[in-house]
Parts: sequence; structure tokens; C-alpha cells
Amino acid sequence: MDFLAEGFRRAFALIFSVDAEVYGIALLTLKIGLLATLVACGLGIPAGFVLATKPFWGRRAALTVVNTALAFPTVVVGLLLYGLLSRRGPLGGLEWLYTWQAIVVGDVMLAFPIAAALAAAAVQGVDPRIRRTAETLGAGRWLAAWTVAREARFALAAVITTAFGHVVAEIGSAMTVGGNIRGQTRTLTTAVTLYTSQGDFGLALALGIILLLLALLVNVALQALQGRGTVGRA
Amino acid sequence: MLELVGVTHRYDDRVVLDLERFQVPPGAAIAIVGPNGSGKSTLLRLLALVERPTQGEVRLDGVRATGPAARRRVTLVEQRPVLFRGTVRENLEFGLRLRGHGRTAVTRLIDDVAERLGVAQLLARRRHELSDGEVQRVAVARALAIEPDVLLLDEPTSSADRAAAQTLYRALAAERARRPLAICLASHQLEDAYRWADDVRALADGKLAPVTPENLFRVDLPPGESLAGLKHVCVGSIEVATNTDKTGPAILAIPPTDIFVSREPLASSARNVFSGRITRLSHPRPGVVHVAADVGVELVAVITEEAVRDLGLMPGAPVVFSFKASAVRVF
Repeated sequence: MDFLAEGFRRAFALIFSVDAEVYGIALLTLKIGLLATLVACGLGIPAGFVLATKPFWGRRAALTVVNTALAFPTVVVGLLLYGLLSRRGPLGGLEWLYTWQAIVVGDVMLAFPIAAALAAAAVQGVDPRIRRTAETLGAGRWLAAWTVAREARFALAAVITTAFGHVVAEIGSAMTVGGNIRGQTRTLTTAVTLYTSQGDFGLALALGIILLLLALLVNVALQALQGRGTVGRA
Repeated sequence: MLELVGVTHRYDDRVVLDLERFQVPPGAAIAIVGPNGSGKSTLLRLLALVERPTQGEVRLDGVRATGPAARRRVTLVEQRPVLFRGTVRENLEFGLRLRGHGRTAVTRLIDDVAERLGVAQLLARRRHELSDGEVQRVAVARALAIEPDVLLLDEPTSSADRAAAQTLYRALAAERARRPLAICLASHQLEDAYRWADDVRALADGKLAPVTPENLFRVDLPPGESLAGLKHVCVGSIEVATNTDKTGPAILAIPPTDIFVSREPLASSARNVFSGRITRLSHPRPGVVHVAADVGVELVAVITEEAVRDLGLMPGAPVVFSFKASAVRVF
């Protein structure tokens, strides 16, 4: 128990002393997490809309693929991306292997199916009369989609939160294509793994607590953006 | 002019609408009547351009109608309309804002239409604070606010009480008097349809029925023949004699002008004689009275005002309806 208490004491000391390494790792994680979430949701939510609302050949197969990709092991995504980005790979010329950009790409690959599948489910949950009504009042395709999105705003906010949570919490891809290089590609999850294996439980715990705080911060920010979201109001 | 030309519409492989031509001329007041499942709502959704016909096309002023530009001239209020999230005022603003009206004009138009539809006191409320009838009135107000050329209404009074229905019909009449507006309304209430519309059209199994819209029933004709070549068909709790040789699902029509109305059963050649009580008397035009009676199913007969006086007919009074088997149309 002393070891745990000592771990917590050291964790809070590192957090409140504004330790440069700890905050550097946290800021890099936040940057990667926000960028990957932005790209994944920017592509995945419209894809979810299309999957939910547009009848096209192969739609059912596309939904199956997206749903299957939800369970993609992060380390396998990392491995595939490693193959693409390594010097001998088709994207080797980018020289992104062991950079934070590679981690973003891996995270986008992981979060895109989450965004697409959950957005499709969110849109399918909206009464189809909402879209019809918007159209019959003269709305074009985009405004009608926006009206549907407003109705599904809680579910879509949950999509973004889930995607961000998945991105900042994954380790397999970040470790494989990022390499856990100090000051360059070390994220909160890879650092926690490293410091735990080195026996620095206090530092690992401090980083773990910061990871939780980041997730909390993003949730609070999203809830604030949703505005008047009191239960029962519509 | 809004029109459907050569339209066949299918859900899966089932034909739900088959119309060679259906026109809504400018300024017309059309009521579409027919039993549930006859295709009324589908017809309105095609006219509203929110569904594309499987075959054929929708034309507006002779030109194939597609896209938001055409949809801004035609609007539909569904049978169970939905409101968007936000207040009633924000709902009424929706169509006006996307037409580029300024804030002052929007406020003026909304206050005006809300007053006419009797929803002014609801403007600050949200959808979960409204009854079904109030939602329906707000939806009609939202549609009228954008001043469409054609207003399509699917059972607009299905959730309204009598007073609210009258307010709605008065508002529609006032709107038509104020500016050119064509209204096409689907209703199962024939009385309202006749009182309000200039043109009543009957729809049966996705086709325009070649008969007047009263006394239309979906039936299942039994195979084979009974005595004297007559077939007895269950309609509600009565059996109607007809001399058709068809079998299976069909529409059975009893022309209201072919029904004899009497106080006592008559000795006659009519094979269909049913006793019941008068449910209502209505006067669609001078000198003509529609007598509706519950004879096991509701039937409507058309007779003269003089006949009503001579027979002393009034709601609740006993009555006998008689008609020949050959008068019954089956299609």
C-alpha cells in the first residue's frame, strides 16, 4: 500500500510542478488525438450519413466492413501502416515512419470506422420524417442533412467523444509506427507502458491521470458545445 | 400546374400507385378520398417531390420538376407531422430563413400566420409541450408561412377536434381568398371533403376510381356463384348481393344515387335491403342532401331536400336503404 500511496504522491507532485517532460507528452498526445479525431470524424461522419441514408449497390457490404473494422486490433493496424510507411513500402517516400504524423494516420485508420458506424446508427435513429419535412420546406441536400444532424446531436457528440477516447487510449499502432521516441513520438499511452516497465510507477501514474483528465476535458467541452441539452427538452 | 404523368410507383414489387395523369391546376381545391392503403399518402409524397416515382414524372408548369427550386413551390404536411427541435417560432422560421427573408419580415410573417392558424399562444413552446392536434396546426402554419404555390395536406384534421378542424378549414379558405394557392388534401372524411373542396377524387388501390367516392369498400370476393348468379360479399357486418363473376380482392362501390331511401322496407326487386339509423344529413349543394346511415356499415345515399322533408328524415331516425344487385360496381 505504501508503494501505491507513494505513487499517487509522486504523480500529483509531477502534475502540480508542471514537469516539462510530462506536459510535453501530454500536449503531443492532445495534438495527435485532436487532429486524428478531426480527420476521422470529418471523413467518418459524412460516410455514416451516406451509409444511413443513401441506397446504393454494396451498401450492406460497406456497413459490414465498417462494423467489422470496429474490432480491428490496433497493433494490426500499426503493422499494416508500418509496411506502407517503411522505406521499402509504397509510402516510404513520405518518410513518416517514427514521426507523430504516422501516429495520426494510424489513429485515423482506427477511428474512421468508429465514426462511420456510430454516425450511421445515430442518423438511422432519427425519424425519417425530419429529413422529408426539411426537404418539403425547400431545404437542399446539405441543409436537410444538417437538420438531421441537429436532431442527432447527442448521438453525434458521443461519436466524437468515442473516437477521441479510442485515439488517445490506443497503444498498439502508436508504439509500432511512432516508436516511442522521447520528445518526438512519445504519447501518454506509450510513455505509461515504458515507465511502468522501468518501475517508475509514480511517473506512469501521473501520465495515466493526465490521460483521464484529457478525456474528461474533451467530454466537458463537447457537452458545452451542445448547448441547451437538458433532459426532456427538444 | 402540378401534375403526375404516366406514373407507376412500386414498393418492392408491389404497385402502390398507377396514374396515367393527375393534375393539380393553379388555385384548385382538391380532396382525395379513399380507404386506408389506397395510395393517398404516396400520391402526396410524389407530388411533394420527396419521393421519385418508379416510372413516369412529376411536372410543374409543364417542366419536369426536380430539386430544391421546385420543392420551394410545393410543400407537404404529413398525416403525422413532426416538428424540428427548438420552439414553434423556430420551426416557423425554418422555411422563411432559407428563402432569405430578413429578421423583421420573418417576425411579421410568423406572427401573421400564427394568428390565422390559432397557434400564436404556442410560439414559445417546444414540441414535447404540444398535443398531437397542436403539432398538426403548427405544421400547417409552418407550411403556409412559406407561401407555397401548392399546399399538400395528408389528413390534416386527423388529430383535431371539430372546432380546431373548422379553424383550419377557415384559415385555408382565407388563404385561398388572399392569394393564388392550390390545395390538394387527402381525407377519409367525405363530409369535410365535399364541404371544402371544388373537386373530390376517389382513389382505390392506387388508381383513380371511376365512381363517386362514397360507399367504397375493399372486399374479398368469394370464388364460385350463389343462387341466381348472385354473389354475396361481406361488407362490414352486412352481406351485399352483386352479380359479378370476379373473385379475390376487389373494390366494391355502391353509387349513392342508386340507393332508395324509405322509412319502411319496400316490396321491390332490390336484392339489397338494409335497415339502420341516420347518422347525419349534409347539404353539399342547394337542393341535394347526403343521407348517411349506419346499416351495419356506413352508407351514403343522395336524395333531394324535398324527399327529406316528405320522409321526415333526421339524424337518429330509423331508415331503410335499398339498392339493386346490378347497381353494385366491382373493380
